[in-house]
Amino acid sequence: MIKYVVRRMIQAIPVLFLITVFTFLLMHVQGNPAQRFAQNARVTQAQIAAFEHRWGLDDPLPLQYCKWLGVCGDKPIVVNVLPPALGGGDNGILHGDFGYSVFDGRLVTDVIAQRMLPTLILTVTAYLIWVTIAILAGVYAAVKRYSLFDSGLTIFNYVGYSLPTFWLGLMLITFLSVPPLRWFPASGMNDPYTTPAFGTDSYWVFFGQNPFFAIFDLGRHLVLPVLTLVTVSIAGDSRFVRSSMLDSLNQDYVKTARAKGVPERRVVLRHALRNALLPVITNVGLEIPFLFSGAIVTETIFAWPGMGRQFIESVGHTDYPVLMGILLIAAVSIVFANLLADVLYAVVDPRVKYD
Amino acid sequence: MTPTASDAPADFEVALVSLNQWQLAWRRFRRHKLAMFGAGLFLTFVAIAAFGPFILPYEATNVPYPLKFCPGTTISANLGCPPFNDGHILGTVGGTQEDLLTLVVNGARLSLTIGIGAAAFASVLGAIVGGISGYFGGWVDTILMRIVDVLLSMPLLFVIIVFAKVFGYGDWRVILLVFALLGWPGIARLVRSLFLTLRTEVFVDAARAVGVSDLRIIFRHILPNAMSPIIVVTTLSVAAFIVTEAFVSYIGYGVNAAYNPTWGNILSNAQNDILVGNWWWPLFPGLAIVLTVLGINFMGDGLRDALDPRSRE
Repeated sequence: MIKYVVRRMIQAIPVLFLITVFTFLLMHVQGNPAQRFAQNARVTQAQIAAFEHRWGLDDPLPLQYCKWLGVCGDKPIVVNVLPPALGGGDNGILHGDFGYSVFDGRLVTDVIAQRMLPTLILTVTAYLIWVTIAILAGVYAAVKRYSLFDSGLTIFNYVGYSLPTFWLGLMLITFLSVPPLRWFPASGMNDPYTTPAFGTDSYWVFFGQNPFFAIFDLGRHLVLPVLTLVTVSIAGDSRFVRSSMLDSLNQDYVKTARAKGVPERRVVLRHALRNALLPVITNVGLEIPFLFSGAIVTETIFAWPGMGRQFIESVGHTDYPVLMGILLIAAVSIVFANLLADVLYAVVDPRVKYD
Repeated sequence: MTPTASDAPADFEVALVSLNQWQLAWRRFRRHKLAMFGAGLFLTFVAIAAFGPFILPYEATNVPYPLKFCPGTTISANLGCPPFNDGHILGTVGGTQEDLLTLVVNGARLSLTIGIGAAAFASVLGAIVGGISGYFGGWVDTILMRIVDVLLSMPLLFVIIVFAKVFGYGDWRVILLVFALLGWPGIARLVRSLFLTLRTEVFVDAARAVGVSDLRIIFRHILPNAMSPIIVVTTLSVAAFIVTEAFVSYIGYGVNAAYNPTWGNILSNAQNDILVGNWWWPLFPGLAIVLTVLGINFMGDGLRDALDPRSRE
């Protein structure tokens, strides 16, 4: 078992390495940042050369990559998460340093940390709701096969699966947050007229003074984005749960349990459900990276200040360091979620062989 | 197939109809009501895209007559006018005051072209890479599959947005290429897994024994046997690419609205006006996407049942 886990982790290393190469190249196809000064008549060639030398842009590409990793720099390779004043900041990604944003000069880790909480608030809320509903609905539909509920869920799944997320969000705004209804706010995390901006120091002071109002306000703003995410995500997951549960209900051990006279409720909950949830765990586990990389589409539509929106904003600013940071976090979390799902599956299902 | 009757006269004739694999699949597909409905829906939109622009009275980028007010009201026409308004069945859009129906019909052209083109291109690439990887195995397989692993580990939408912005400049051909060049790894992995089992079949040994070249075995002997799942996945990815195009154009890095309307960039322009309550502008282009995607998904499910009867629940 432990051997299996270790081997899977070792297998992940070349993929992680190639991900850093790919991310690095992806950002370098965008061209040399110094060229943005070339149009300016008052900037001399010597100044551009000095700029390139200052930021290491005149190094050969492999050396630039090596420095970005933090292997070819002048500092030892130890994980260094210290603030810039103590020697951290731009030692390379292996030190936990992603450098500075070229848009506003802040540390990339600060930019990402600031966006992480809003993303987690949105995605974790939505995730808990949709996984719960998908499991309940999928199991109920499988138990009451061919019932009205089952057909209704099938239709809902087809439609939900075909709805583009961003258009659903637009429609919710169009019909629920503009006159005549105006039930829910269309954008942001809090009401700009009554509350300081989310995440600022004054917001937390305000939060301490009026916790109930602040939470109510946040909840009101959460409704539409969460509704959007839940609607499109239930579709795929509940379909998966339903078919897994149907498989499970057709197994011999379920028939045996029924034949022994076990009450139907117990057959469904204890015999069938436990085994039906095994593949569901893997499926739901593979959705975890989404919690960190953020719901890029939903955050864009509802102006939710999370990672996905930061990514779109940084694309607009051609802000490579931030883009690289977000891409790396997203890719690495996908690799680890795959690993976790495999390992988890091997743990819960004793039939899986470790080879 | 024509019935093959014996030459000898008989009291009764037995009509022997021999159907090949594809004819059998077509017969199963035809009986699948939902799939036929989906195919009809999709083909309707293809027909609209092909012939619609010739039938409609307005040019796609022609403003017929800028109005001050919507007909019969005192609402400023600059924000667009609601549906069923003076010959504009779906209303007009704000700003340029173009006819929304004309925009949606013209938008169908590029949205469908990009969806179908990118899916087809990605499938060809995926089949080539997956086929070579699965057939040869060894270090070729290891290298190609590591590349696939990396591309599948990157959040696809994030990468597409970066590429679309850097290379795209609103050109739909580049957007199509970007989708295809980033969308093939999933299909490659599928084709590889099919090849891993198919390459051990006897007919492959037989072909190799009579000296057929490797590439010919891959593409003429094994690939036809792997076609069914590839067709299903390609069909479903048409829907995925249509939605992706719509989102990328919506955030402004896709196809340029000034030259070529697509469903995505119509929605992009609509975004500014939804807060004043112009519901028709975002509604109709989006409905076109939903109906097309729904049709493709129905069709894809039907194809899966028709091409691989064993996969039925």
